[in-house]
Amino acid sequence: MKRVLYGTAVLLILLGVQFKLMEVRAQSTAPLAMKATAIQVLMIQSDEIKLPAEFQVSLYENLIEQLKKQGGFQHVYRDGDHAADSETDLVVLHSTVRGFKKGSEMARNVTTVAGKTSIDIHCQFNDKTGKNILEKDLNGKVRFFGGNLRATLDFAKKAAKMAHDNFVARPTT
Amino acid sequence: MVLRSIRMATIALLGIVGITALPAAAQKPATGTKVTEFMGLEGVKPRAGGTITLDSGNLQFTSSKGKASVPLKSIEDVVTGNDSQRVFRGTFGTLTMLAPYGGGRFLSLFRSKVDTLTIQYRDADGSLHGAIFTMGEGKADALKKEMLAQGAHTTIPQEEDTSGAKPDAAREKKP
Repeated sequence: MKRVLYGTAVLLILLGVQFKLMEVRAQSTAPLAMKATAIQVLMIQSDEIKLPAEFQVSLYENLIEQLKKQGGFQHVYRDGDHAADSETDLVVLHSTVRGFKKGSEMARNVTTVAGKTSIDIHCQFNDKTGKNILEKDLNGKVRFFGGNLRATLDFAKKAAKMAHDNFVARPTT
Repeated sequence: MVLRSIRMATIALLGIVGITALPAAAQKPATGTKVTEFMGLEGVKPRAGGTITLDSGNLQFTSSKGKASVPLKSIEDVVTGNDSQRVFRGTFGTLTMLAPYGGGRFLSLFRSKVDTLTIQYRDADGSLHGAIFTMGEGKADALKKEMLAQGAHTTIPQEEDTSGAKPDAAREKKP
């Protein structure tokens, strides 16, 4: 009787592992949304949330810098750049602020646990015609060290990685 | 006779004073505002300390880490705000975090108030750029006023611009 129970338990565990592996494999082999050679970053919108101007600009500038740093795109265009019009494989990134909590650097330094700064941003990638290709909510935060604007860098790194993973054509081996 | 010579002397004196005063008024030395460029200016490394001068319709930033010039008419938005920063910052500030018995935490209580000035401008290609400056308390409003007088634009009128956050009404005006 015991053997049957043990056997069933082992079988269930193995089945669970198998399902998890299948899930991971499916995620890793998910087709690319689109391959793009250039990306255009539009200015961060914050119609619903009151976002200080320095955060808005910092998000925008950090995003451009991180996309350039991450590599993969031949061109990273700014909002309003006319040169982007001639690109054929262009992805346009729209970012909208959905949540913002300005923490306190002093509170972080003194208490370690309080004073977190956090920004929630909805990222939407469109193709040149305006068709939505990919959208995701990302978050930028600073918990321990650094000023409040460091949260914008955290978001920019995540967004740049997402753009790189989904739109940059990987070299075939 | 005496009256005549006094009159002549007065005229000569006024003439000398007038001649020497004219160039001084015309030159009007451009005294810059000491700022720290937090980020955004093309060709200047972030966190560069330098001076902003408003000269012949341009915003000039000069520092040891680079120079940049932005035409004031290309500035679409100027917003001021305020923040605070640690008195002990940089490498020394990081090292103070290692101080024993919570010394680093205690030192982080010492903070100085700063003003922030955020600008958004377009270059010749139409690309949108943003730059953030920090400066001593009370300097940002005066600088903004001067920038607006010389052709820069803003979405927030001077008297409303205290929090640094953009009101929705002002934002809607943007194209």
